[in-house]
Amino acid sequence: MRFRAKREPQRAIATVPRWVLALLAGALLAQVASQALQPKPSARAEALGAPAPPQLLRAAALGEPIAAAQLLTLYLQAFDNQPGVSIPFIQLDYARVIAWLEAILALDPVGQYPLLMASQLYGQVPDAARQRAMCEFVRAEFERDPDRRWRWLAHCAIMAKHRLGDAQLALGYAEAIRRLARRAPGWARQMIVFILEDLGEIEAATVLLGGLLASGEVTDAKEIHFLTQRLEQLKAAGKSSAPPKSRRPEP
Amino acid sequence: MDSRIATIARYTLLEAARTRLPALVLVTFALLLAASFFIESISITEGARFQAGFYAATVRLAAVFIAALYVIATVAREFNDKVLEVLLALDLPRSHYVLGKLAGFLAIALTIAAAAAAPLAWLAAPGAALAWAASLALELAIVAALALFCVITFSQLTPAASFVLAFYVLARSLTAIRLMSENPITGADTLSHQAARVVIEALALLLPALDSWTRTAWLVNETPYWPALAPLAWQSALYVALLAAAALFDFHRKNF
Repeated sequence: MRFRAKREPQRAIATVPRWVLALLAGALLAQVASQALQPKPSARAEALGAPAPPQLLRAAALGEPIAAAQLLTLYLQAFDNQPGVSIPFIQLDYARVIAWLEAILALDPVGQYPLLMASQLYGQVPDAARQRAMCEFVRAEFERDPDRRWRWLAHCAIMAKHRLGDAQLALGYAEAIRRLARRAPGWARQMIVFILEDLGEIEAATVLLGGLLASGEVTDAKEIHFLTQRLEQLKAAGKSSAPPKSRRPEP
Repeated sequence: MDSRIATIARYTLLEAARTRLPALVLVTFALLLAASFFIESISITEGARFQAGFYAATVRLAAVFIAALYVIATVAREFNDKVLEVLLALDLPRSHYVLGKLAGFLAIALTIAAAAAAPLAWLAAPGAALAWAASLALELAIVAALALFCVITFSQLTPAASFVLAFYVLARSLTAIRLMSENPITGADTLSHQAARVVIEALALLLPALDSWTRTAWLVNETPYWPALAPLAWQSALYVALLAAAALFDFHRKNF
């Protein structure tokens, strides 16, 4: 059995009353003219609003705080790219951005995404104050869960040392990782030694490195060999009261 | 108004009143209102704002959905039941049938808008609720005229409803699409982008930018609303006239 739609040939245009044709043409012209005369929509950057309190967000998530956190993350991430206008990160209100990141972390504390955004996106703007604000946010959040969040603070330590040129800040971050992040890998926990060395704190670096080797936390034979060599270099340098040439920047 | 147009409009209204449309509208709006109270109860701060915003946004979509489907379903039924052929066998010009139906549907759109906005008189400032209701009535008038045009052109529910849905979504997002097309992040010079931009600008000449109608911000942000209403009324009247003319054109060419 074949089904076929019945074809209904249309009547000629001549059967359409003239006033209908005139109305159609007139309305079409008026519509096109009216729309053409409208001002073009202009792209306008909208300011980032403050996030709702975490308790409210949690209630609004209707039992899906992780999904809500992910949606909020994507919203925040896309905020710099509003329809027709791209907002440089540097123009964002960083206090608001931090409030959003805190709210997202409150909803999903295990998620790493907000810390990545803080250290790798918002922390990369060429503005020292904003970089420091993001690093301080990462530091504060690190203390809430050091074993899971140490890598972002390690990034901030490197950023503080090389981009901000603030070795004391980098030292503070590295010290926090050494002290609190017991599950962080050796390189992250040893970072403080090298920062101390660069600061000329040879004695402190020697004591720390010696302590690290003595504690038995380092188990890899090659790593022990490397650190032992480093310790000997430090001791030698300590006797001459000058940092080793190999780690000193070229003048 | 010609008495025959008025008669068809009256019977269109009567049909709506005697079918389950009023019950459907009231139950839907009551459910959305109840849901808005739930939203208000779980919000810790700005509860009234959350409630008004949620209710306004959802009831607007529900009203559009109900109005469009009602128009399409009722005219499609007249096509299928041969009621239309009986009517056209009488001394009734085709244009009077279309205009009568349109007048009836516009009255239904106005009633639905009034019912949708009634709770907002308590949830928001009365002036803002009134402006919102007027704007929703204008928006529903466009949707009803569009649905009438589509069902006359396509004669069947599925293609007509799909066209109305696609049209509505496009009209609501047209301004954002234009902005993104105007200021692309990359690839502004490519031929495909230039072609897409020309198409989008052409669409903008033909479609109303429905994102300007019935804004929730009027209710919750104290945004000035009265200055926006006059241009919306003019654009709505023009677009309803255009759709009515297109429907008349197609209806006159239709062979029964």
